[in-house]
Amino acid sequence: MLVKMNSTEYNMPLPKQVIPTLPLVPKKTLSERREQLLEFIKKDGTYLPKSVLHADLDRGMLDFVKGDLQVVTAGKIVPMIDIILTTQNWSQYVESATFVNLDYNVEPPFVTVVRQPEVKYGTNPSLQYTIPNRKQFYYASVPTWSGNEQGMDIYTIPQPVPVDINYSVKIVCNRMRELNQLNKIVLQKFSSRQAYTFIKGQYVPIIMNNISDESQMALEARKYYVQSYDFTMLGYLIDEEEFQVKPAIARVAQVVEVDTSLLRKRRKKYPENPSEFLSNFLYVSGITTLSEIIEFTADMTWIGSENISNFDVFINGDYFGSNVNKIQITTNDLLTITVTKNDNTQEGVIKFDSKLV
Amino acid sequence: MAEKLVPITRLGKFFGGEDYALDIGMGEEWLIGDMNFTVILYRIDRYKTKTDDVYGEVLEDGIQFMAPVELKGYVQVMAPSNKFLGNSRVEQQEPGNMRFSIYQKTLEDLGVDIFMGDYFGYYESEDRVRYYVVNDDGYVKSDNKHTYGGYKPFYRTIVATYVSENEFNGI
Repeated sequence: MLVKMNSTEYNMPLPKQVIPTLPLVPKKTLSERREQLLEFIKKDGTYLPKSVLHADLDRGMLDFVKGDLQVVTAGKIVPMIDIILTTQNWSQYVESATFVNLDYNVEPPFVTVVRQPEVKYGTNPSLQYTIPNRKQFYYASVPTWSGNEQGMDIYTIPQPVPVDINYSVKIVCNRMRELNQLNKIVLQKFSSRQAYTFIKGQYVPIIMNNISDESQMALEARKYYVQSYDFTMLGYLIDEEEFQVKPAIARVAQVVEVDTSLLRKRRKKYPENPSEFLSNFLYVSGITTLSEIIEFTADMTWIGSENISNFDVFINGDYFGSNVNKIQITTNDLLTITVTKNDNTQEGVIKFDSKLV
Repeated sequence: MAEKLVPITRLGKFFGGEDYALDIGMGEEWLIGDMNFTVILYRIDRYKTKTDDVYGEVLEDGIQFMAPVELKGYVQVMAPSNKFLGNSRVEQQEPGNMRFSIYQKTLEDLGVDIFMGDYFGYYESEDRVRYYVVNDDGYVKSDNKHTYGGYKPFYRTIVATYVSENEFNGI
């Protein structure tokens, strides 16, 4: 006798999540993981965390439902109403939504998120009534540099305020398999009672409270399934208006260079105010003319040159002579010496012995 | 591709398209010519209006309107009622809703439609205008009352609730 079996009985389970390669970068743990979490919080901003307020928490819940609780049946994504429904927005939403019918009514299946308007003081145990009076706490020391002054700013923030926000995620559909799919996803996700959404670099826990059925099964009415999943987000409010930045220490950098060699130079025993001394004119590479206002009256005697073939002397702009052996100079004279070098790429020196008169 | 049209042949023994058009024309003559109730429709431009991405609510000064349209229809304003605001002890007399009925042909001639959230302005007296927001746009008009005894939908009934001046005060 032939036994006709349902075709589904032949379906063999096949692994769907095949990971072909091993991860080369190990996940961070312990203190490294904590630093990574801190980096998430500070990402694209200042050293401080960003504000997390009601709208951010609501957006986090919508993103969680859209991403983590996405329902796919028969190859199609069950659309989600991607806003928190309020008194104002419904008509606008349905006019621009893609899954409405000819009467501008939303066509099942779809998923929607309803927020209970009241937000109560939170039950997150890590934040409850531990610090009174919005006391500011140290968060970070941030180095500052004004160009010549180095300092520190101390960033302080108060303890975040815990809040509990209740949401109902509702699926409206006509088929049991769509209910089953969402139910499977929710139960898997919340098998440890809580799941997390990621809001501005911070993991915020969500716990599941209840699952209820609100399906419309009246005889003389349209029949459809509605199932409601009640969640509570154990969030917290961080308000950047409450952050404080205070200056801490500041210091001026003064750099002093000290010769640390142990050998002491012997002091030269020149007379304190010599009446005769050397006056050197150094012509660096590419320079052939030097001018200087002489602050004394003296006879300057040429005693030698290096890399210089000849030189012309001008006093107060008047030609005095070429290759002269003695120059008589008076206080406040402008002495100009133009040289011709043997090798213009090298430096040259003219040495005079100045004797005060 | 042209839209598929199916002729309406019901009630054909004693009523047809010409009778329908005649009755609508006479009705318009009475409603527009004799009664001449006028409201101003302020339609919201849903695509240009700026909203936030969490609640879909209009941002400050982000609401955009299309050009106002003058509509002729049948206006009924309900009686005001004394109410508390929520559970507060603030008591006030709230103006009643407006029921506005309009021929579908009028809307089609003007090329306008009315949706929830649009605003009406209605002059109660020469110097007093009151604004209403549409909370039931009567878009579904398949019932016998709105289909001329089952022949074809021919008018819509729109219910609008008064708004305070800080929500809308004309444009």
